[in-house]
Amino acid sequence: MRFTICAAKPEDCKDIERMIMELAVYEKMPDQVKISHKELERDGFGPNPFYQCLVAEVPEELMSKDGHTKVGYALFFYTYSTWKGRTVYMEDLYVMPEYRGKGIGKALMATVAKVAKEQHCVRLQFSVLDWNKPSLDFYLAKGAEDLTAKEGWHFLRFHGIALDNLAQEAP
Amino acid sequence: MANFILRKAEPKDVSDILRLIKELAKFEEMEDQVILTEKDLLEDGFGDHPFYHCIVAEVPKHHQSADGHVIIGFAMYYFTYDPWIGKLLYLEDFYVMKEYRGFGIGSEILKKLSQTAVRTRCNSMHFIVAEWNKPSIEFYKRRGASDLSLEEGWRLFKIDKQNLLKMTDEE
Repeated sequence: MRFTICAAKPEDCKDIERMIMELAVYEKMPDQVKISHKELERDGFGPNPFYQCLVAEVPEELMSKDGHTKVGYALFFYTYSTWKGRTVYMEDLYVMPEYRGKGIGKALMATVAKVAKEQHCVRLQFSVLDWNKPSLDFYLAKGAEDLTAKEGWHFLRFHGIALDNLAQEAP
Repeated sequence: MANFILRKAEPKDVSDILRLIKELAKFEEMEDQVILTEKDLLEDGFGDHPFYHCIVAEVPKHHQSADGHVIIGFAMYYFTYDPWIGKLLYLEDFYVMKEYRGFGIGSEILKKLSQTAVRTRCNSMHFIVAEWNKPSIEFYKRRGASDLSLEEGWRLFKIDKQNLLKMTDEE
């Protein structure tokens, strides 16, 4: 299947928003999506972007049944490991179901790896839900290691009210 | 001993920051994994494009450590992006030297970080903790943190340089 992988542009944010929601539905957490294409445009394309994004596009003759040609995306940003230095964290990787199995996911990820290499990053990190077997298999086949299983790392967060409470604690 | 200040790290602090990074890595039983140097920290934190931000805890000279140090704690963080909620503050490392614990320094650092998060419009502060690190997990949970690995099933993965290069070669 013919497709291209390009850096996202501000006008792609509506498609990215659509696919973010599709991925959230797949991850069984659609009610957790609170931002729209407006925040994506402001936060990804200003003078200080908080993320980078790649978009996979197919030619018009291969458009989806709903008329979309933007069929996949990878959203990532730079992070820092106090052990190894510069790293890339891949926050989202998604390809619409009807376009899977054609090498698009692989190409998106390879492009993220290429950007990581150009920026002298030593590692790519990401997270996967423990029940998501298709994704787990996809990543393990590429040499990914499960650090939660291997080293016991857990994700924690201070969210919403918990964060506000922490900020207001009296000295 | 209640006398300490928290301040933004400066280039002159990189040697102390690296010392504390190695101490924390030793506690996490992974000291040999630290390959970062002072030069990396300087370039990556104080160059044109900082990959991280850092605050340090400093005590007056008359309270210096057994080895003569006045920088006795630090927190390294950066901003990341969640496509569901937007900007996040990610806490990469957070450490107070053993002899200075129990005086509220850690709590004060966490409070300062959460204030930074709120001030910069972050909805959440994320970090990882090793599951065997019960004292740290308790410290965070007491303050309202939730464990996303347990609650939602997220597992952390990595792909190291060797496999990243393989992916770019395959394209």
